[in-house]
Amino acid sequence: MPKNWDTEKIRGTRHLPYPSATGFPYLNDRFSPGEIEFLSGIKVGNIGLRYSSYRDEIIYYNTAIGTQIEIDKMSLKGFDFTDADGNKRIFRRQHYDGYFSNERYFEVLGDGEISLLAYRKVALQICPTYTDDSGKLKNMSYQNDYSFYFYAKDKGYSQVKITKSSLLSKFDKLTQKTIKKLLRRNGVQISDETSFIHAWNLIKENGIKLIF
Amino acid sequence: MKKLTQKRYFKVKRKTILLLLILFVAYAGKAQVKESFRLYTDRDLYVSGETLLLKLFAPSTEKSGIVNVDLINHDGKLITGITKQIVDLQADGFIYLPDSLGSGCYLLRVATRTSTILTIKELYISNRFNGLPESNSDLRPSGILPLNEAADQTLQIEGIASRYKAREKGKAAVHLPNELLNQIEGNLLVSVAEVTPEYSTSEFTLNAAPKTGQIIEAEGIILEGIVSDKRTSLPFKGAIVNLSIPDSIPGFQYFITGDDGRFYFQIKNYYGKIPVVIQCYSNDKTQLLKMVLIDPENLKKVMPNFETKAFPSGLRKNIERSTDAVTFRKIFNQQDITTVPSPLTKNNGYPFYGVPSKTVDPKLFFDLPDFTEISRELLPGVKFRAYNRIPTLQVFNLPQQNYFNDTPLLLIDGIPIRDLNLIRDMGSKDIDKIEVCQTERFYGDLRFPGVVALYTSKADYTRLPESDNLIKLNLDVFQPQAILNSTSASQSSDPDLRPVLIWNPATKPQQTIALDFQTSDIKGNFKLMIRGKTKDGSTFYKEQKFEVQ
Repeated sequence: MPKNWDTEKIRGTRHLPYPSATGFPYLNDRFSPGEIEFLSGIKVGNIGLRYSSYRDEIIYYNTAIGTQIEIDKMSLKGFDFTDADGNKRIFRRQHYDGYFSNERYFEVLGDGEISLLAYRKVALQICPTYTDDSGKLKNMSYQNDYSFYFYAKDKGYSQVKITKSSLLSKFDKLTQKTIKKLLRRNGVQISDETSFIHAWNLIKENGIKLIF
Repeated sequence: MKKLTQKRYFKVKRKTILLLLILFVAYAGKAQVKESFRLYTDRDLYVSGETLLLKLFAPSTEKSGIVNVDLINHDGKLITGITKQIVDLQADGFIYLPDSLGSGCYLLRVATRTSTILTIKELYISNRFNGLPESNSDLRPSGILPLNEAADQTLQIEGIASRYKAREKGKAAVHLPNELLNQIEGNLLVSVAEVTPEYSTSEFTLNAAPKTGQIIEAEGIILEGIVSDKRTSLPFKGAIVNLSIPDSIPGFQYFITGDDGRFYFQIKNYYGKIPVVIQCYSNDKTQLLKMVLIDPENLKKVMPNFETKAFPSGLRKNIERSTDAVTFRKIFNQQDITTVPSPLTKNNGYPFYGVPSKTVDPKLFFDLPDFTEISRELLPGVKFRAYNRIPTLQVFNLPQQNYFNDTPLLLIDGIPIRDLNLIRDMGSKDIDKIEVCQTERFYGDLRFPGVVALYTSKADYTRLPESDNLIKLNLDVFQPQAILNSTSASQSSDPDLRPVLIWNPATKPQQTIALDFQTSDIKGNFKLMIRGKTKDGSTFYKEQKFEVQ
């Protein structure tokens, strides 16, 4: 009897190649081993996953039929995969109620009462003209357009930039001082995503509440 | 000296043998005490046309998530049965006893697909029109070892009078000591029902030998079958077997057979009776296949012995009274139970074939005589043509901006159809709704080059041709929950002839359980019964009888 014969089946459409341009429309270069979770809570693991930042879709490689399939977003609760560096990347499907409200996959950078989420969007945008490998003149490229949010179930989304000032702006003046002191004492300088997450974790660990 | 040593040697040997014997008996005794299902019914004696209420406790080792309760006659023939989900190692349900049942002893059998011990409860059902046999005797199981249990002495029932008048209100309280309360697993069964003191039946177990390799029905009913090559009768590998459950959002499963040609489906989250269609096909269109379902019934042969026993005196009178009561209840259309609406089946909100790119209701347009016309006039991107009487169907692939070369998945009421001739004559009047997916869809390992789903006005599936590779079933899946109807007949002039006054199979254990009831017009003996199960797997009960005059 085949393994997992009675599990929920993955539904989707064929993944078609994106327009050729410089930049990279996917988050992970190759299919990474991962797991998807259906709305029913059933999980299907050990499948090759690749996140399309361009279309905000999760693509899996069906080994039985040798096809790349875009999994129906509405059938999933979320997914995770381990990237080439061995980091586990966890994504959750959530409704985004801001400008261009829709269902989005957010990467969970920090979870809890208030989550720190990243929307890994890549946009195909006009850029200075260039000649591609085949000698064609082009003026479009895939450009990162990542956005980061603090999210609480009852309060929704609050956008934040990966900078110290943006983080501090989410707190009142008195708390800002405490945070500055905390970051200084721990030698944290916010310069990139990793240091931002580290700073946020420190704030959480010290029981400082973000109010938005 | 030598004699003394020899004597001592034999003494030690005797002691060793005795010790080994004691150990063996103790071990064997322990091995024999294997937990089994326990089954309780509202009464022991029924009249055909009545509803039997039941509650069962599963053994703590039970892995199956569902249980079958079957009513069988003394020949082992299945009369009717139900399938229930086991929740917290318990289940409760009901069985309608057909009016046509002949008078006689029947057995209520509890088993799962993998049960090695069957729990059986003996019942007597009297036919509503014929009554007891003239011979004043009937077959009853013999040579059985009844499952006995001792009444719990710590459990107290208060407030039950020894006598009540008809339609009198009664109150009672059941007190559970803390020690027992901490030991109880799951819910309690509390019932007040008529008893026939002169006739009681027993519950017993029989050993069964399930087929090896049986799959445990963890969450749903398992349908198992085998696909074979019609020419050679050998199991066929690589056949695609579909199971469809027609519905507004149809259910769909598939299985690709292995070397043994077998297929399995698990049906869960469905309640009541549902239509099921199973089809098989091979990618090689010339291949002829035959499909059969395998009956997992391996319990038919397991039956106790029967012998003729005379009825106790007074039983005939009791049965006649009960028969009159049942007839009156039928005349006044008094239903014993009310079924609770089943939880809705979640299908993730969209059909297995995907969200349609287009939905068309042909009735909103002018009447079109056949599907060729419908596709031409109402379905841009769907090409149905019948040149030289050979129909073809193609769907336009929106992302790629060309027509698929392959035939799309065609569904009638959610059932995949391979013969396009079946839809050729379908006009606007026959079709309620058409859904079209104009993308290449995937469901597991299946590929659909576009989808055309027709939902018919009649939804009777008669268009499906009978063949060796198609099975149509009306499958009894999980029985919905039911509650006993409490009557308001006391206010009305209608007779109140309820033999069961209280049936609460899911009473939450608490220190004091308050009970309110009203006696019916039935005069006779009644019994208040509390049953439960403890964490160590043993069951307990307490009962108190009273009379209605």
